[in-house]
Amino acid sequence: MVLLVSETNDITTNEVVAWLNAYGATYQRINNDAYARLHRVALSNTKCNIQVAGIDPSCLKKVWHRRGSLRFLPEPLRNVTNLYPYLKKEEDSILKSIEDILRGQHDYVGSYHKEIENYKIDHLINAKEADLRIPDTLITTSKKELIRFFNHHEGIITKDIRYGIKLHLEDGKLFSSGTFVVTQEMIDTMDTDFGPTLIQEKIEKEYEIRIFFFKNRLYPMAILSQNDTKTAVDYRNYNREKPNRNIPVLLPGEIKEKVLQFIELSELSTGSIDIIVSKKGEYVFLEVNPQGQLDWVSKNCNYYIEKDIAEYLIAN
Amino acid sequence: MTINPDLPFVLISNCIPVKGAKRSAICDLTRSEIRLIPNDLYDILDLHEGKRVGEIKESYQNKHDAIIDEYFDFLVREEFILFTETPELFPKMDLQYHEPSDITNAILDISEYSSFDPIKVLKDLNEIGCKHVEIRFFRSTNVDELQPIVSMLNDIQASIISIDFIVPQSPGFCKENVIELLLQYPRIASFKIYNASTNEFIPPVDKQRGYIIYSDTILKDQRCCGVIDPSLFSVNIKTFTESLKYNSCLHRKVSIDHLGNIKNCPSMSKAFGNIKVDNTEEIISSTEFQQVWLVNKDSITTCKDCEFRYVCTDCRAYLENPEDLYSKPLKCGYDPYTNTWEPWANNPLKDKAKAYYNML
Ligand code: SF4
Ligand code: SF4
Repeated sequence: MVLLVSETNDITTNEVVAWLNAYGATYQRINNDAYARLHRVALSNTKCNIQVAGIDPSCLKKVWHRRGSLRFLPEPLRNVTNLYPYLKKEEDSILKSIEDILRGQHDYVGSYHKEIENYKIDHLINAKEADLRIPDTLITTSKKELIRFFNHHEGIITKDIRYGIKLHLEDGKLFSSGTFVVTQEMIDTMDTDFGPTLIQEKIEKEYEIRIFFFKNRLYPMAILSQNDTKTAVDYRNYNREKPNRNIPVLLPGEIKEKVLQFIELSELSTGSIDIIVSKKGEYVFLEVNPQGQLDWVSKNCNYYIEKDIAEYLIAN
Repeated sequence: MTINPDLPFVLISNCIPVKGAKRSAICDLTRSEIRLIPNDLYDILDLHEGKRVGEIKESYQNKHDAIIDEYFDFLVREEFILFTETPELFPKMDLQYHEPSDITNAILDISEYSSFDPIKVLKDLNEIGCKHVEIRFFRSTNVDELQPIVSMLNDIQASIISIDFIVPQSPGFCKENVIELLLQYPRIASFKIYNASTNEFIPPVDKQRGYIIYSDTILKDQRCCGVIDPSLFSVNIKTFTESLKYNSCLHRKVSIDHLGNIKNCPSMSKAFGNIKVDNTEEIISSTEFQQVWLVNKDSITTCKDCEFRYVCTDCRAYLENPEDLYSKPLKCGYDPYTNTWEPWANNPLKDKAKAYYNML
């Protein structure tokens, strides 16, 4: 049996499920919007026995952890405002252990750990290890360092170290603007010391590549946005009027090898990698998202990734 | 961007040129647009992709430089091409088509003669994985009758993701009521009211719910169907790749006519069984039922020479020549040999077929 962990309305999971049905596969899907009973994680000197949401792990062949996580906290406890953050940490801890145990026993694709511990710096180091070019990067709390970095490069950008901000304030919402160019004027307004901030050299790009990967299979898509100032820095600042051209692209053999090497070093079994092809033709690694969106890559390039995933999950 | 004389060009691979008898169309499958181009430009794209503009000019002995520049200005403006040092890294898109459900869409007709339970039919359709259902009423109905139908789909968390209603006007279908129904049920993709006193299009309620059309067209029965019109063209990868191989109306469709007969289309005479006695799933899996699925545009007279053939809809029930399954749809007014559109019903050559289908 195949186990899927996801969210109810996740289009990608729905499509994979449609394929699993077409192939007559047996599977169980657990969505993270309802309480899942944790029957037991029972340890003794002779055995380690787990049962979650009525599923006996010994019947499992493969697990696909698409999104979210199981929810072991019964509903009433989620609403206890002061206690919840603490209980959530307890829950997280056991989720991680269960994932590790299952990963040791089964083919487990995707990861809750990796998603919430998405450390950009670690990934950059792994990319460097894999001999991929990375942008010069600085994390600092010092204006002096920032100015030095700024003066050293033709242009610099900044982005979140881990997550984008999403705040609901009394007088409106506050969203992170993703990646943007840092200007002299911005720096002038800054204090001598500030919160840890990630800065990178700005790479002049020919185009961007988004690579969705599932195990060792790569699905690269080129995002052609370089002629449009609106999307020139980061394609995620979507250009509504004229959508980017998103088309299938191939990676040169040597780059493909390095990307696979990166995936191995980062111990990720699935995700999305962002790469820039610079004006000079260099492939520059930007970041990886461990639970990357694959729907738009699949649809724009006619890749049928969902079908491949279903076939992978039911293969012996 | 401008023409870059130093680099070879490649076509954006999800913008696909389709050659017709007299002109061609570039089908922009992600922006859902069609741009018409001369066949000369089609040939240039076909023969010279991967070359520099200068080389192309030379291959025509530099006799047509001005026209070639004009062509490439157009291609650049529309972002149909890309100049690149590495054309070999931009492959053609794989035009594969796959579909997990045996049946993706269905038509269900209901008239005063119908004696089946629509809810039961919908449950059956849901069982076989159907995603879209069009329900056409040729008798009067009201919100109280429709509501339980959609509500049931919610309750069973149906695989049917969209429902289109076509109903005759009745006092209960005033704007307020219909809008309320659409707000309540996101599954309703459209609600069309015919025999209305006005013609009005109400765009998707709340931007993401279904749209509403009031039309003064008089509909009596299924003979209303089958009109070919550019507004119905569907310019996207799924339809395009499906049309390369399969019929653009009937592939993976099942219809239940007003008497409960299981058919490819309610307007076709051939019935393969009746929902009251037969098993729908068995019928739809038979090669006999699926035969018409394989009538693609490349095998249809006239359509095979039409530049719209992979984005157009089709009709196998009303044909220019009713005796020939590979004949052009009767209700198409387009002539790909002259590139003109005319109202199909005005064409005297179609009178014989109209008489055959009792449409005169
Ligand atoms: S074959 Fe013609 S009449 Fe039948 S459903 Fe298709 S368009 Fe309508
Ligand atoms: S000839 Fe008419 S029906 Fe045939 S493909 Fe062209 S527009 Fe469509």
